[in-house]
Amino acid sequence: MANVSPADSSSQPFLARHEFLIRRLHSLSGLVPVGAYMVVHLLTNASVLESPAAFQRNVYGIHSLGRLLPVVEWVFIFIPILFHAIIGVAIIRGGLPNHGSYPYARNIRYSLQRASGIVAFFFIAWHVFHMHGWFHADWWLKTVATPLAGAQFKAFNATSTAGSAIQQHWLVSVFYAIGILACVFHLANGIWTMGITWGVWVGPIAQRRAAAVCTAGGIALAAVGLGALGGMATVDVEKAKQVEDRMFHHKLEAGEVPNDSHKRTDGDHKDDGQPADMARK
Amino acid sequence: MNAPSANASNGHSVSASKSDHPEFFQVRVLRQDQPGGDCYWQRYRVRYESDMNVISVLQRIAAQGVTMDGRAVAPVAWDCNCLEEICGACTMVINGRVRQACSALVDRLLADNPQEIELRPMTKFPVVRDLVVDRSRLFRALQRVRAWIDVDGYQDQGAGPRVSREDQEQAYPLSQCMSCGCCLEACPQYTKIEVLQQAGESAAEAQARTEAAYDHGFMGAHAISQAVLFNTHPTGQMAASQRLEQLTAEGGIQVCGNAQNCVAVCPKQIPLTTSIARAGRAVTVWAWKKWFDR
Ligand code: SF4
Ligand code: SF4
Ligand code: FES
Repeated sequence: MANVSPADSSSQPFLARHEFLIRRLHSLSGLVPVGAYMVVHLLTNASVLESPAAFQRNVYGIHSLGRLLPVVEWVFIFIPILFHAIIGVAIIRGGLPNHGSYPYARNIRYSLQRASGIVAFFFIAWHVFHMHGWFHADWWLKTVATPLAGAQFKAFNATSTAGSAIQQHWLVSVFYAIGILACVFHLANGIWTMGITWGVWVGPIAQRRAAAVCTAGGIALAAVGLGALGGMATVDVEKAKQVEDRMFHHKLEAGEVPNDSHKRTDGDHKDDGQPADMARK
Repeated sequence: MNAPSANASNGHSVSASKSDHPEFFQVRVLRQDQPGGDCYWQRYRVRYESDMNVISVLQRIAAQGVTMDGRAVAPVAWDCNCLEEICGACTMVINGRVRQACSALVDRLLADNPQEIELRPMTKFPVVRDLVVDRSRLFRALQRVRAWIDVDGYQDQGAGPRVSREDQEQAYPLSQCMSCGCCLEACPQYTKIEVLQQAGESAAEAQARTEAAYDHGFMGAHAISQAVLFNTHPTGQMAASQRLEQLTAEGGIQVCGNAQNCVAVCPKQIPLTTSIARAGRAVTVWAWKKWFDR
């Protein structure tokens, strides 16, 4: 009887030894939290279609987490996305797409899953820079992020800043549309392959049904995402800003929000020179 | 590809009348003289006969011994055995698609591309010579997943457990695998591993190095499917956790990217992606138990 014990496991590199666990975590992280976050994110943004105030209300809701917000963002969004992206790159490097020789629909989706992952990665990196500037340090925002058209989103002027960031140039909308569609495809197709990987849908009929459901879900989510983009691209920035400022002053008087200049369009002059922490009081 | 080759060829020869085929056709072969050597294309001209398959084309080329421009060359080397698509030995890439040479009919190939027939060795296995490849990685993967049933001895052990009709129907298609390698050739996640014997290295040393390299690579759809087959067998089940352990080791099922080319190209129509999902479910449960039952 052949004794098969492939390679002494202790001598293998970490990634090889834990390949199964890492791949499964990669698969899971794509659904929760990353995929789930994306759905919530797009739905929230689509609330701009209801009214500029509705979107602003939602953003206030998110920011009511206060000092917990960065922790939540890192634990549930940034770290999982980075993990998913880094392992994803390793996975892409391990494969050899061959849709040219074998142009079957599912094989094309295999290649598209990788392509959309790469597009999504660059889009998300740019999107986070465009809206948030990556880092919140003052010197970075002043000398790098703002001059490069980044860090445009201000949470307490949510609709007007997001709207004007999108309306900067028509190309911005095009990039966002491509990015959103890549992310949505990656999620919808990813859920389908995930079901096979984890053994949820096994037989060919079940896999076909699951594909139909994933397609329908993907189309719906794409509609939500593009709707949100359309809303931001057409919102009246000036009017939105007036509404936001009124909301802000109400909340400020009620003591519901801190007077944080970083979160407002023209908050800067109010607490010039003060460190952000002081201004939060 | 549903019809057995004999039927297909008969059906076709009726329609292929004398007038709609050329007198000669061209064959382009990707040749390689030795393992690790350079490869090069060579063209041949073959006289058309009715009901030819790629093996008979290769026989004609060997008999001619000359290329299209009249150069005398060593005959093209190829593998074949059963000539009825059940041994898998003649697997090669024909007009860009992996399949068995013995069941690749010239009439059909010329209908798709009247210009020429292109023959290449499989790209995921080390070439031994011309169209002959070394598929030992495929068999090594079967060893990894213990694709057999252990017997305790040779004495009469009485009747085995009964296998339900349902299990039989699930197992039978999987048992038809002929280890041809089509599923591996077409798989985008299965990449070539070739280890060449170095100067001063013994054959045994090179073999050990090769096997170690193979064991780091993806095992492939056929091995996953065989693991499922033997894990559904009542006696085979006794080694189920060893197979699941191997399925989750490096190069195991997690490497599959769900491109599903394997199932599309398998000449035996084995439901490979169903096996992959079944194995995926089994390892999900098994890994959970492994981590939380202790
Ligand atoms: S599973 Fe199909 S394609 Fe793969 S080796 Fe077996 S018979 Fe060939
Ligand atoms: S489903 Fe998996 S094993 Fe089959 S071709 Fe795709 S990646 Fe390879
Ligand atoms: S010779 Fe056996 S499959 Fe072709």
